[in-house]
Amino acid sequence: MDELDDLFLAAKAAAPAPSTALVARVLADAAAAQPRPAAPSPVPRAGWFAWLADAFGGRGVVAGLAGTAVVGLVLGFYVPALATDWSSVLSAETVELIPDADSLFASLEEQG
Amino acid sequence: MTGFLADAPDAALLLLYARGDPDAARELARRFLPRVLGLATRLLSGDRAEAEDVAQEAMLRLWRVAPDWRQGEAQVSTWLWRVVTNLCTDRQRAGRLRAKPMGDEMPEVPDGQPGAAARLMAAERVAALDAALAQLPDRQRQAVVLRHIEGLANPEIAAVMDIGVEAVESLTARGKRALAAILSGQREALGLAGEDPSDGRA
Repeated sequence: MDELDDLFLAAKAAAPAPSTALVARVLADAAAAQPRPAAPSPVPRAGWFAWLADAFGGRGVVAGLAGTAVVGLVLGFYVPALATDWSSVLSAETVELIPDADSLFASLEEQG
Repeated sequence: MTGFLADAPDAALLLLYARGDPDAARELARRFLPRVLGLATRLLSGDRAEAEDVAQEAMLRLWRVAPDWRQGEAQVSTWLWRVVTNLCTDRQRAGRLRAKPMGDEMPEVPDGQPGAAARLMAAERVAALDAALAQLPDRQRQAVVLRHIEGLANPEIAAVMDIGVEAVESLTARGKRALAAILSGQREALGLAGEDPSDGRA
């Protein structure tokens, strides 16, 4: 080891420690320069009407249904006799749209 | 500080910082700020205030490069030493260093305290070395400080200075000879015993 090495050792031992103020400045720089994670784009909350429209096939369909319901309510309120008459008509008789099994066998026998 | 961060490689910390981890910057500063400040102090002839400015600027550049850091292409430490040496060179060329008389910024050592004389002598040696380093050409000063005070290996110094290993060896040898010649008149005052260092040894 020569004399210069003594000086180098002294310089190593005398390495300055960062002051508290310097550390604070460096960390403040780091916080300011740090990239922020991208915030998710805000998704607008769907209202109850939008939810209903999705469920029934679109805003036009829901609007039509709502209009029909309003007309029905108005008719029922102002012309209750009409509503009563229609209900009596609907309950007056039963319409067989699909033939029962006996009728089906009878028609087959007639053809055979 | 979690053990995970303390054990993480430098480049991984930089990646974590770039992804928003608030503790990664603290760990990087803990690892590098003391050495960055030490290197700047020696390269700037002991000018502590200027060295702090350089250290803060070098760390700021590290924070800014983090999002674009290419993993595996360079060592974080090598990149930082290069930034520090370049910043110091810029400041020296701009003539921003304060004229610092010998003995300036020496630690206060109360008389009669055990070891006081030894510490005062050590402080005088460091001040003499700083003054001698200031007289070297920029590249010699950088090579000598990186090799003999910061303890870097020659290949890493070559990477920092962007030169070959042989050029590093040449710079350090010439730098040491020049330092020995500059300090030859102060050997007794600095308590340096032994043979005359200006006899040509590298």
